[in-house]
Formats: sequence, C-alpha cells, structure tokens
Amino acid sequence: METFAAVFDVIYQLFDNIGFLILAASGLVIIFGMMGVINMAHGELMMIGAYITAFSYHAGIPAPIAIIFAGIGAGLVGMILERLVIRHFYKQLLSSLVVTWGLSLLLSQGFLIIFGPSILNVPTPFGNFPIGEQTFGIYRLVLFAVAIAMVASVWAIFTYTKFGTRARATMEDPDMANALGVNTGNIYALTFGLGCAMGGIAGGMFALTATISPFFGINYTPLAFITVVTGGSANAISGLISSALSLAGIQTGINNLVNVYIGYVAMIGAAFVILLILPKGISEYIERRKIRVRKVTNK
Amino acid sequence: MVLKVNHLSSGYGNVKIVNDVSLEVNTKEIIALIGRNGVGKTTLMKSLIGHIKSSSGKIYLHDIDITKLSPAKRAALGIGYVPQGRGIFTRLSVLDNLRMGENVGGNPRSTNFERVFQFFPILKERGSQKAGSLSGGEQQQLSIGRVLVGNPELILLDEPSEGVQPNIVQTIGEIIRRLRDEEGLTVLIVEQNLDLIGAVADHCVVMDKGSIVTQLATKDLNNPDVARKYLAI
Repeated sequence: METFAAVFDVIYQLFDNIGFLILAASGLVIIFGMMGVINMAHGELMMIGAYITAFSYHAGIPAPIAIIFAGIGAGLVGMILERLVIRHFYKQLLSSLVVTWGLSLLLSQGFLIIFGPSILNVPTPFGNFPIGEQTFGIYRLVLFAVAIAMVASVWAIFTYTKFGTRARATMEDPDMANALGVNTGNIYALTFGLGCAMGGIAGGMFALTATISPFFGINYTPLAFITVVTGGSANAISGLISSALSLAGIQTGINNLVNVYIGYVAMIGAAFVILLILPKGISEYIERRKIRVRKVTNK
Repeated sequence: MVLKVNHLSSGYGNVKIVNDVSLEVNTKEIIALIGRNGVGKTTLMKSLIGHIKSSSGKIYLHDIDITKLSPAKRAALGIGYVPQGRGIFTRLSVLDNLRMGENVGGNPRSTNFERVFQFFPILKERGSQKAGSLSGGEQQQLSIGRVLVGNPELILLDEPSEGVQPNIVQTIGEIIRRLRDEEGLTVLIVEQNLDLIGAVADHCVVMDKGSIVTQLATKDLNNPDVARKYLAI
C-alpha cells in the first residue's frame, strides 16, 4: 500500500504539473504560437479572469459559471486591446514586446489602485481523497481535465470550423486571405479575443487555488511562454502537448529525486536544451518526421 | 468594358513604381501585360486588387469606382486574384484552400467544387493533402481553382508559368482559354513565357519603367527582335 501511495503521488504530481503548464499556456498558444504576438500581458488577462471569477463567486454565482464569465470578460477585454493597440504591432516582435509589457504594467497597477493589494480568495472546491497516509486534492485532477478539454477545443475550433480555416489562412498570408474576401481585421480581433478568453478561463480556474492579487499573472506568464516556445509553432497544438509532457515530466522527476527548487531549475534547463537542439521547437521536429514518413510510404 | 484604369500611379512609400497607367480590358478578353523584370507589372496587379494603395488615378470595375475599396470588397465585386508565387496556404489542405474561395462576398456558403475539379482534376485527387506538399504546377492550379470558387468575372493572373514545368504550363494555357470560352471570364495576365502568351493572349500591353509604352498583337512576338526588345529574354 505504501509503494502504491508513493507511485500514485508521483503520477498525481505529474498530472498536476502537466495540467498547470497546458492551462497556463492554452491561450498563449493561440496568441504567440499561431498569431506570433509576444503578449507579455497574457498573465494580466488571466488576472482579470481571476478577479471576475472571485467577484462573481462572492456575488453568489456558482464557481463554474463564474469561470465562464471570466472567459467572456477576458475575451472582450482582449478584443478591445487588439483593436486599439495590438493590431498596430503585428510582425514587429520587439515593438509588440515593449507595448504589451507596458499594457501588463498598466493593468496590474490599475487593478492595484482600484481594488487594493488583495481581494477575498475563492475556496478550492471538491475536497480531498486519501490514499494510504496521504490525501490528494480532487480539484487538481479537475484542472488537468479542463486543461485537456481546452486544448481539444482549441484544436477542434481551428481544424473543423469555418472560422478556424479562415483564421489559419489569415495567419499564414493575410493579404491573400483579404483578396479572397476575408475581413482579416475581424479575424485577428476574434482570434486574439479567443486566446484571451482561454487565458481568462485558465485564470479563473487558478483563482480557486491561489491568492488573487494584481500581480497574479506574474506566476504564469514566464511558464506559459517557456511551454509555448519549446513546443514551437509548426503545429502549435501538438507542440504544446509535447512540450508540456516533457517539461512536466522532467520537473516531476527531479522534484522527487532532489527537491522542488531543483525541479524548477531542471525544467527550465530542459527547455533550454530542447531549444538548443531544436531551435524551432518540438513540433517542427514532429512535422518534419511526418513528412519524411509520408515520403517513404509514397515510394 | 470590365476593367478601366485611368492615369493610375502607385508604389511603396514615396517611391513611385507605377506611373500614370491607363488601360482598358473588355469583356471576355485575355490581355497579356508584358515587359522586362522590374518595370512595375506586379505592382500594377497589386494596385488593381488593392494590396497597394494608389497615389493618384482611378480604377473602375464596370462603372464602379473601386480605387478606395479594400481587396475583400474588390473580390466581392468580381475580381479574382492569383498572385505571383501563387499565394496558396501551405499549411491548409487542398480542400481547405478551395473553401477559402467561398469567403468572397461576405457570408461563406458551401459550394460544390465539381466545376473546379472539371478544370483541375488533380485537385480532387489531392483533396486532403497539405497544399504545401503539392508541386509548383499543382499549386498554380489550386490558386486558379480557388478564385474560381468565388465566381469572379475578371481574373488577375500574375506569372502563372513561374516555377511550373513546361507540360503543365501548356495545360494551364488551355484552361485559361477554356475559362474564357466556356465560362465567359475576362483575364489580365502578367507573363514572360512566350509560349503561354502566344497560346492565350488576344493582344499584349507592354510596360516599361512603370508606364505602358505600346500595345502589340500577340503574333508580333514571333519576331525575335520585338520579343527581345520587350521581354526579359
């Protein structure tokens, strides 16, 4: 029983870490992975989601609906930011970095002034279950499930809907899409808004586990970027999954062998090594392999 | 008259590349726009679809002034644009590329692609393949097939022979003629390939240094001196 509990503990941590990375990166995978915008304010959109969730929850709205509100709210804020600011900086990596960094400061300081340094937290639902001597939170497993569901829905939206086809075409060649009748401005705003809505939902989900403050986002932005960049943009979704799996795997392993701190360092080290070997990310390697396999089977 | 260009000038920033061009294309005509490299043919095509703003002059489609309209609106009015380099979406499947043609005119509707497959049977075979994995000739056919989905009246074709093997160039030439003869389309084609020009063009308009300098009958290009003078050969 004790061995089982120890093994379960590691698997539980692994799921927790994978879920954390995927959830934190699920909106950014659209905004940076597909659109190529370095959005330093992504964590602040998550923070907005966390605030909406907390306020709605304390107003008596059930947590799941509060989290959906968070998605809608962050999505709307994202679309407004896109139309007012972001759209002027497409294809300008450095400018978009500086501008979105500014936005992130503006949002977090603005929330600090308006709402103060912290607000009432939201309790974590579902309670615990015991295995052997240890107890495990059920909500962490819910986080994992939601993370998987979010990636699956992003994939389905971009693969199967007309909007998805138009969005992928617009990201690849906006001029050509426009010449085929697509209102590319709308597509950009909607795609950016969708990424922010995903961030808002993730923020709302994390709001139930963390302290909510104006600087909530800082916990997520760096890890979201590391995950998305390691995944690469050749195929943003398979990249996100493979990078979350490998980074969380290394983090969990080292975590248990050494300690939590070294686990973090090892994860960032792993991202560094992966990008040294595969500068365009893991997904570029996967796509290359697929093409090679297809060529071989065609012969 | 389908297209009328009046004293059009355009370029990048302060650099004027197209200079005071006037041009008329009549219904069901196939006009070849020829000239050496860098004389402004592609810039003129981009100005006609609206990727480059015109600094002065007017563009009319029938009697509608389209000079200030966005590319999407020009497409909705019946201009199909097949750019240099083909402009296919390499990461989308062949069918998804064709579906992009359905966006013309606002509300996307489902079309049956049989009409396109009738001209380009290879696209049916390749339907689910990533467009980036097609050969140059197949991509060119996809690019033309894609604008056909949107039912254009006028097609702007920018160097369809570029990077395409000779037997496919011949096929594309035959299809361009069929599009005019069977579907009543009007075509303005930028081309350097003498065989293709000879096979499709009713007459040729010659550009040099951003302006239109003369018009030629297609058969005049059989004269090597004329061809050498006006083309990059």
